[in-house]
Amino acid sequence: MKVRTDIVRMYKDIHGWVGIVSGLALFVAFYAGAITMFEEPLQRWASPPSVLAPPVPLERTPELVKAVLAGHPEAAKGYQVHLQTGREQPARVSWQVDDPAGGEHGARKTFYAALDADGKLQVEERGPSPVAEFIDVLHQQVGLMLDHEIAMPIMGAISLLYAIALVSGVIVLLPSLVKDLFALRGGRNVKRMWLDVHNLLGVFSLPFHVIMALTAVVFAFHDQFYDAQGATFAQARERPAVATPPQPLSAGPIPPAALVRTLAREVPGFTPVALAYGKGPDGSLTLRAMGRDPRYGLRAPTYTPAILGPVTGRVTGADYLGGRQDGWGATITSFFALHFGSFGGAGVRWAYFLLGLGGAFLFYTGNLLWVESRRRRERKSGAVTQTRSTRVLGALTVGVPLGCISGISLTVAGAKLLGAAATLGSHSLIYHVTFFGFVFWAIVRGSARSAVELLPATALAMACIPAVTILVRSMHPAEVLLVDCVAAGAAAVLLAAWTATRRRAGFGPVDSVWSARRNAA
Amino acid sequence: MSAPQLTSRNWLGKASAGLILGFVLALGLSGLLAWSIGVSDTFFSTKGQLAMWSISPVWCTVLSLCFLFRSGLRAWIGLGLASAVVWAALYGTGMLEGMLA
Repeated sequence: MKVRTDIVRMYKDIHGWVGIVSGLALFVAFYAGAITMFEEPLQRWASPPSVLAPPVPLERTPELVKAVLAGHPEAAKGYQVHLQTGREQPARVSWQVDDPAGGEHGARKTFYAALDADGKLQVEERGPSPVAEFIDVLHQQVGLMLDHEIAMPIMGAISLLYAIALVSGVIVLLPSLVKDLFALRGGRNVKRMWLDVHNLLGVFSLPFHVIMALTAVVFAFHDQFYDAQGATFAQARERPAVATPPQPLSAGPIPPAALVRTLAREVPGFTPVALAYGKGPDGSLTLRAMGRDPRYGLRAPTYTPAILGPVTGRVTGADYLGGRQDGWGATITSFFALHFGSFGGAGVRWAYFLLGLGGAFLFYTGNLLWVESRRRRERKSGAVTQTRSTRVLGALTVGVPLGCISGISLTVAGAKLLGAAATLGSHSLIYHVTFFGFVFWAIVRGSARSAVELLPATALAMACIPAVTILVRSMHPAEVLLVDCVAAGAAAVLLAAWTATRRRAGFGPVDSVWSARRNAA
Repeated sequence: MSAPQLTSRNWLGKASAGLILGFVLALGLSGLLAWSIGVSDTFFSTKGQLAMWSISPVWCTVLSLCFLFRSGLRAWIGLGLASAVVWAALYGTGMLEGMLA
């Protein structure tokens, strides 16, 4: 396709700059995001066996709830009944309260309850491993562990840059699309090869990236969007809470076992996973069922909510309930499901996992190209030493991705060692010490030497995941061995990359930032 | 006619127009969408959410393509006019009565 050359040149500049500003943050977001595809298996893998008594059968749940409400009346504001229990969700009943000591905005404490053999209430604060949640937050905040209110606008700005990068990248590629698309030219011209890889990945995952950019902008700015609309439009001025019809206070909520039977009759195909019983400020009861239906997309990463009549158990709000929702609800649900990969079952999750890793690699190749094209320009103008910006960018291109991969690997492996003592804070500490250590090392040692040194370190960090599983298997019987297998495979891939990097550092072009033969600085 | 060459040098004027007026334009269009599909009582209704979601693609598109204006000034004028038209239409629908009251 023909595009004016000045337009292509202009968008090439823009693509380079927005890419270099947002690329490394997007690498972290995509790598962590790919892992969140397996949030639940990872949580099952990482969670220690619970100290609680085994969950009571569903029929005995009212007894447990009664004991909880007698001992902890604050739980009446909202408690959850878990229909599927296991390592990742050890208790039949849990509830959350605002953490007065936390101070941090929105910090909440979760309590887990069970009945022991004598029917006495057990309450435990230590729940399943928070490591999956940590990776999710890392993903949402593109690796910036700042206060949510500060991190989200930054994430939104990066998403906008990402959108510009997608449009500009397509415009730049359009004139040579047919010629370049299926070409992967290896050989002596390394920049050509990386460009072919970058184009190939970019074009074939473009729909995925368009979805991610547009949804990420909404996830970052939805508060501001709603506020702007609310301040402007007459019809949108009021923000009434979801209306719940007043409930006769004499009747109690429908017990879980009866509710499960009602749901099976009313919404066949929908498998409830958890039930959220609550009480509004006016004392009216509320009830929500979280569940899945493999035939429809889910509104949340792992479930879709249905609003139920608290006494009857009949569906009163089906906006996100596949098969019962109207076209508007299905449209909104699809936006979320397309971002979360929460449709189509395990196959789509694996596809999103690979697309996420592919996306991370796309940004990495973008950075490589930036460094490589700088290098060529410098050679043309006769300079043989690299400028500081090229050296620093080259070093960050090594340090940030490898630091992110190692940090996540070690914090996941650490989950089993920390056991029930693990908190979001301790996982954040492990990740950040590793991440900044890698970045610091890369800047001090330069890209060529640090790549040779940090790649085996990353492989080692990855290998820690199966190693820890073997090490603590007596205390923490292994579950979900697939996590260990994938980590071992990834460690092998990293070792192969190490071999290739050593070869390049030793025998590649001397004027490259990747050469260790003469000081690249 | 031979159009003048576009360059990335004058990006700041164009990008600021795309960022600011792109949002104004997207907000206005989301209002028209809300009016046309009849977002009425509840703000978080699925229709209301759709109107909110529509801001993102419009904003991203304007922000990405605003570089095709020849200069920052032209970008501000062009997008300003487009926004004026959209917001005038919004005024016509009565969607702005709450703000002006």
